[in-house]
Amino acid sequence: MADWTSYYRNEDEEEEQEDGEQSAGEERLTGRDSLVFLVDASKEMFIKGEDGAPSNFDMTMQVVRTVYTSKIISSHRDLIALVFYGTEHSKNPNDTFKHVYVYHDLDEPGAKRVQDVDALRGEKGAKLAAETLGCGPSSLGDALWCCANLYSDIKLRLSHKRLMIFTCREQPHGGDNVKDRQARTKASDLKETGVVIDLIHLMKPGGFDVSLFFRDIVSPPEDESELGLQLEPCEKLDDLQKRVRAKEQKKRATARINLCLGDGLNVAVGLYATAVTARKPPPVKLYRESNEAVRSKTRTFHTQTGSLLLPSEIKKAQTYGKKQIEMEKDEVDFIKKFDDPGLVLMGFKPMEKLKLHHHIKPSVFLYPEEGEIKGSACLFSALLKKCSEKNVYALCRCIARRNNPPRFVALVPQNEEVDDAKVQINPPGFNVIYLPYADDVRTLDLPRCTSASQEQVDKMKDIVTKLRFKYKSDAFENPVIQKHYRNLEALALDMMAPEEVEDLIMPKVEQIDRRLGSLVDEFKNLVYPANYNPESKPAAKRKTADSGGGAEKKPKVEVSMDQIKVHVQNGTLGKLTVPVLKEACKQFGVRTTGTKKQELIDALMDQLSS
Amino acid sequence: MAKSALILCMDVGFNMSNSGPGEESPFDQAKRVIQKFVQRQVFAETKDELALVLFGTDSTKNPLDNDDQYQNITVHRNLMVPDFKLLEEIENQIHPESQQADWLDALVVCMNIFETETGGKKLDRRNIVLLTDLNSPVSSDNLDVIIENLKQADITLQFFLPFPAEEGDGEAPGDQDRRGPGHPGTGKGLSEEQKEGLDMVKHIMLTLDEEEGLEQIYTFRSAIEQLCMFKRIERRPMAWPCQLTIGSALSIRIVGYKAVTEEKLKKSWKTVDAQTNQKDDVKRETVYCLDDDNETEVQKEDIIQGFRYGSDIVPFSKVDQEQMKYTHDGKCFAVLGFTKQSSVQRHRFMGTQVIKIFPGKDDEHAAVALSALIQALHELQMVAIVRYAYDRRSNPQVGAAFPCIKQDHECLMYVQLPFMEDLRHFTFPSLENNSKFTPSDEQLSAVDSLIDSMMLVEEDEDGKQKDIFKVHDIPNPAFQRLFQCLHHRAVNPGTPLPAMESWLKATLECPEVIRERCQSALGEIKNKFTLTQVEKKKKLKTSAQIFGKDSDEPEAKKAKEDEADEEFNLADIAEGSVTSVGSVDPARDFRTLIRQKTLTFEEVCKQLTHRIEQLLGNKSTDYYMKSITCVEAFREQSVKLGNADLYNSYLQLLKSSIPTQGLESFWELLVQDGVTLISEDEVEGSTVTRNEARQFLVTERIEEAAAHPAEDPGDVDDLLDMM
Repeated sequence: MADWTSYYRNEDEEEEQEDGEQSAGEERLTGRDSLVFLVDASKEMFIKGEDGAPSNFDMTMQVVRTVYTSKIISSHRDLIALVFYGTEHSKNPNDTFKHVYVYHDLDEPGAKRVQDVDALRGEKGAKLAAETLGCGPSSLGDALWCCANLYSDIKLRLSHKRLMIFTCREQPHGGDNVKDRQARTKASDLKETGVVIDLIHLMKPGGFDVSLFFRDIVSPPEDESELGLQLEPCEKLDDLQKRVRAKEQKKRATARINLCLGDGLNVAVGLYATAVTARKPPPVKLYRESNEAVRSKTRTFHTQTGSLLLPSEIKKAQTYGKKQIEMEKDEVDFIKKFDDPGLVLMGFKPMEKLKLHHHIKPSVFLYPEEGEIKGSACLFSALLKKCSEKNVYALCRCIARRNNPPRFVALVPQNEEVDDAKVQINPPGFNVIYLPYADDVRTLDLPRCTSASQEQVDKMKDIVTKLRFKYKSDAFENPVIQKHYRNLEALALDMMAPEEVEDLIMPKVEQIDRRLGSLVDEFKNLVYPANYNPESKPAAKRKTADSGGGAEKKPKVEVSMDQIKVHVQNGTLGKLTVPVLKEACKQFGVRTTGTKKQELIDALMDQLSS
Repeated sequence: MAKSALILCMDVGFNMSNSGPGEESPFDQAKRVIQKFVQRQVFAETKDELALVLFGTDSTKNPLDNDDQYQNITVHRNLMVPDFKLLEEIENQIHPESQQADWLDALVVCMNIFETETGGKKLDRRNIVLLTDLNSPVSSDNLDVIIENLKQADITLQFFLPFPAEEGDGEAPGDQDRRGPGHPGTGKGLSEEQKEGLDMVKHIMLTLDEEEGLEQIYTFRSAIEQLCMFKRIERRPMAWPCQLTIGSALSIRIVGYKAVTEEKLKKSWKTVDAQTNQKDDVKRETVYCLDDDNETEVQKEDIIQGFRYGSDIVPFSKVDQEQMKYTHDGKCFAVLGFTKQSSVQRHRFMGTQVIKIFPGKDDEHAAVALSALIQALHELQMVAIVRYAYDRRSNPQVGAAFPCIKQDHECLMYVQLPFMEDLRHFTFPSLENNSKFTPSDEQLSAVDSLIDSMMLVEEDEDGKQKDIFKVHDIPNPAFQRLFQCLHHRAVNPGTPLPAMESWLKATLECPEVIRERCQSALGEIKNKFTLTQVEKKKKLKTSAQIFGKDSDEPEAKKAKEDEADEEFNLADIAEGSVTSVGSVDPARDFRTLIRQKTLTFEEVCKQLTHRIEQLLGNKSTDYYMKSITCVEAFREQSVKLGNADLYNSYLQLLKSSIPTQGLESFWELLVQDGVTLISEDEVEGSTVTRNEARQFLVTERIEEAAAHPAEDPGDVDDLLDMM
C-alpha cells in the first residue's frame, strides 16, 4: 500500500493538463478545424481493379469512413463535409450548381454520417451511388464554388481549412479551356481565403500526370520542394489511408519556446505531441428528463457563513511533521517557478549514454519555428545534421510551460525518412526524451540469478526465431477504446448488438503453439525438472491456517483507543492499515469524506492532536 | 514494516563553545547538523523514530541518574517520529551549557533507551549518532563491556567530530575528498583529552567493524554539505508476480518491479480559509444547471451520464457501461511475438514507467528459463512484444520487453508501446530540400566545433569515460524547492519566501568548465548565423481582424482614425459639442470628454460604462466590437491618468456578470484581445499584480477543466502502487 494518493490526481497535477487537453484548449481559442472531401463520382471512379480489387470510389469511401470514425474519437469538434462532383443529380443549397452533390455539409461527424458513408461502400454502395448520384458531366469550378459556399455558410470560426480532391482523372473537363480556367480561378479564390487544397490522385491506366491540370489547382507545399507533385498516384488502400492521414490532422505545437544555446543565442522551436495516450473520453452529464447536457458550476464558499470566498480569502496548506504550513496562492506559483519557459543547452553526450530504461513519459517532437526567429531553421538544420553525424544527443533543461518546474531532456536527432511512395514516415527534427531525476529511479533488491547454459539459450533462440514478426507501431488498436466506441455506435444507431471488436493484443495462442510444435517440450525438458509446474504457486506460500471465505481473511481491525492516541502522539499513524484507520475514525467519531490513507490520517490527527 | 531507530546524542558542554576567531563553534556546527538531519526526516516522512540526548547540560534528566553517576545528561526527547515541534525545540531550546559530561556515559544512556524503548519491536537498524568535540574527560573503565553490549544489541555507531579522524593517509575515504583548506588537522591543536578521546573512538569503531569502521567518523563540515539536500523520495518496490507465457504450453514464473517512474509527492495543497487557516471552513460545491436562459438548476439525482459519439450524445448509464465494457482475464504477461530491436523506436515509448522483470522468487528453474530467453533475445538483438495487464480492473497494454544483461543481474525491461489511436501522424516540411535552410559548410563546421567543445562525457588519461552531468543523480529540484519553502514558512512565519538555494541553482546550470570552453565556438556561431526575432504580430486573431470585413471599414483606414484619435485632434475640440458619451462613437466621446476635463473622471467613466451596458444588451457581434473599443479606451485612459481602480472594479464586475448575462462570446473576444486588469506594473497603486492580471483572463478556463477530471479507471501505473 505504498501510495494510495498517487492514484488520485492531486490539484497540482490538474493544472498541468495532458498535452492532448492542452491542444483542446488551444482549439477553443483559435476555432475549429475543417475538412472537405471533394470526390469525383464519374464512371471512371467506379471501374474495378484487376482481380476484383476495389474501385477507386470504393477505396475513397473506405478512407472517408476511417477519417470520420477517427475524428469522432480524436477530435469530434472538427467539421467534415463530403461533396461529389461529376454527378448526374445535384443537391446543394438552392441547387445553384448542376452536377454537384453535397452528401454531407460541413458539420461534426456523428453516427448517422458514418452509416451514410458505409452505405456507399462495396457492391451495394456502387449501386446506391448510381441511383442517388449518377454520373454526369463535371465542372470542378462549380464544385469548388459550392465548397466555398459551404465554408462561408459556417457561422463558427474556422482555424484550419482543408479540401481534398479525390480523383483518377487528370483532366476532369477533357481539355475544355473555359471550364479549366474557371476551376483555376475558383481554386485560387479558395486558396486566398486560407483553404489548403490537396490532390489525392488515384491510380488509372497510363499513370496520372499532375502537370496537365491539377498543378495549378492544389496549394503549393509548405517547403520549396515539389514533394507534393512528385507523389505517385495511390493504388493501394494502405497508401491512400496513409496519405490522407498524413494530411488530415493539422499539426499544432503544444508550446513554442526558444532553444538557448548559450549567451542569448536563441533558436525558436515548436514542441509537438506526436503520441498522446488516447483515453476513453469523460462522460457528459445529462438531464434525465430531456437528455440534454447540463453545465456544471463550481463555487468555493465559507462553511459557516455560506458566503462565496474570493481567491484572496483562501490559502493553500500542507501538513508536514504534524504542522500545517500555509501559503498564499501566488506563493505556491512562486515556488513552482524556476525560470521562464524554454530549452537551455547543457551540452552533448554520445548516443550510447542514453539509457533505454530512462523513460518517464512519452517523448515529444521538436521542429524549428522560422516564423518566430528568422534563421532558426538553418541553425536547427545544422545542429540536426551534425548531431546525427557525430552520433550525439543534446542535453537540455526544459521548461515547457509557465510555472512548470524544470526537467532535463535528451534531444535525439531524427533524419527525414520517406517510403517508396514518397510519403514521409519520419519527419526531420529532434525527439525530446524526458530523463528521470534521482527520485524517479527506484532502488531494487536484485535477486540472485542463475544463468542459462548455451544449449538452453540456443533452444530458446529457435523459439524466438519461429515467432518473429514485423512490428509496426500502428498495428495495434486499443481494444478498450474500440469496444467503448462500438458500444456507443450501437446505442446511437439503435443497432441490436455492437459490432464485435477483435482484440489485437491477444496472443494468437493456437497459431503460436502450431508454429512452435515440439520446440516447447524440448525447451522445457532442458530447463524444468520433470515434476515442476510453473503454473502452480510456490510451496513457500504463507499458510492461511483455516482459510475459509474471504470474510475471515480480513485482518481484525481492533486497536484500542489508547494505542491510537499513542500513534497520534508519535506521528506513527501511517503504520496502521486503512481498515484499522477507518475503524479508528468510527471509534473517535471523526467524520471523514475521504477514503485515502492520508485523508484518514489527517482527519485523525486534526481531531486528536489538538 | 521494517524501520530503524536513531538517537542523536549531542555534546552541549562548555567545551563545545570554544572556537577560533571568525570560526563557527563546534556547538553551532553540531546544531546545524542535527537541524538539517531532522528536517530531512520530517519532509521524507519516514516512520523511523528518533530520540535526542544532550550531555554537558546543567541539569540531569535520565533514567540512569543515580547519586553521582550519569550526571549532566538529559534525555531531551524519547524515541518518536520527528516533527516540527522537535525542530522548534532544537531551534529555541538547545543552547551551549556550562557543564561537561563523559561521552561514554552518554552513550550508555542511549543504549539504555534502546533497551527499554525498543525491546519488543522489530527494527532494521539501531543507530547512535554522537556529536562531540571529545574535549571532555572520559573514563575508559568499562569500555570493553560497552563495546560488547553494543555488539550484542546490534547497535551501530556514527561519530561526528569537528576535525577529521585521520590525517592525509587516505584511510578515511568518507572525509578525505571533502576536507577543504583551513580545516583544523589532526594532532595539531588537539588537546590531550581530544587525542585520548580520538584514540578511544577509533578503538571502538575498529572493534565494531574492522574493515569499514573508520568510515563512520565524519566531520561536521562534510555532514552539513551532504545534508543540504533533502532526501530523495524512496518508494518500496512492490513485487508483481505473474507468468510470462509463450503460447499455451510454455510459461515462466516472473516477478515485476517498477524500476523507473516519475515520482510525485504524496501530499498536495489543501485549500484553507485565509483567516482561520482551517480546511473545514472552506467548502467547494458543484451545481448543475441547464443551458437555458434561466440557468435552471438540476438536482444531482436527475442527472444521468452519457458519452459523445461525434456530434451525438448517447445516454449510457454506469450500469450499462459496466456491463458492456471490455473485460479480460486479468493479470497477464503474454508474448505476442518477437521482433527486431531496431523496429521498436525509442521515441515511440509510451506510458510513464519502466518495469523490470525478474524470475519468480526463490525459483531456480524459472531463473534458468528466463535467463535463456534474455540471452536469446540479447544474442539475436530482438525484443518480445507482449500483452501486459496489471490486473482485471486495469486496461491491457501492448509493450516491448527488452533484454538487459548487467554484470550482476539479468532481467527483461518492459516499456509500453503506442496503440494506433495514440499516434498522430504529422508531416513536416523537409529541411534538406529547402535552400534557405541548408547550412553552408562554414556554418556546419561552426556547429561541429560547438558540439566538440560542449561534450559532457570525456575520456580521462586511462581511457575511462567520465560523465560530468548525470541527470539521474540530480534530486528533483521541484521537491527540493518546495521543502525549502515549506520549512522556511514553518520556522520563520510571516517572512517572505527565500530565494532558491545556490547549490540547487548550480546543479541546474551548464557546468562551469563547459561554459568557459564553448565561448569561442559560440561566438563563431553568432558570426556565422543570422538570427532575427520576427516582429510579433498578435498571435491570436483580434476581434478587429475577425470582424474587420463585417464592419465595412478597411483596416488601414481604421488604424489611421485610431492614430488621429490618439493625437491631439483640433477637429475634435472645434466640435466642442461633445458633452456626454453618446452612442454613435462612445469611445471617441469618452476620450474627448476626458481631454476636455469639464466633467470629472468618475462621471465620464460612469457614462461610458452605462453605454457599454446598453451595447452589450444587444448581444450581437457588431455591438460587441463597439463595446470592446470602449473597454479598451477605458483602459487606455485609466493607465494614462494613473487611476486603475474604476477600471479594474468595472472589469471584475463585468466578468462576474458573464454567466448571468450570457456574454461568454463577448468575454472570449476580450480574452483574445488581451484586455485584462491594469496591474501594478502599469499603474502604481493598483492592487492587482501582474500575475493576477494575467490570471484574470484564464482562471475561468482552468476551473472549467478542473470540473471534469478525466475519468480513468484503473491506470496500471497507479495500481502498481496500490498493492
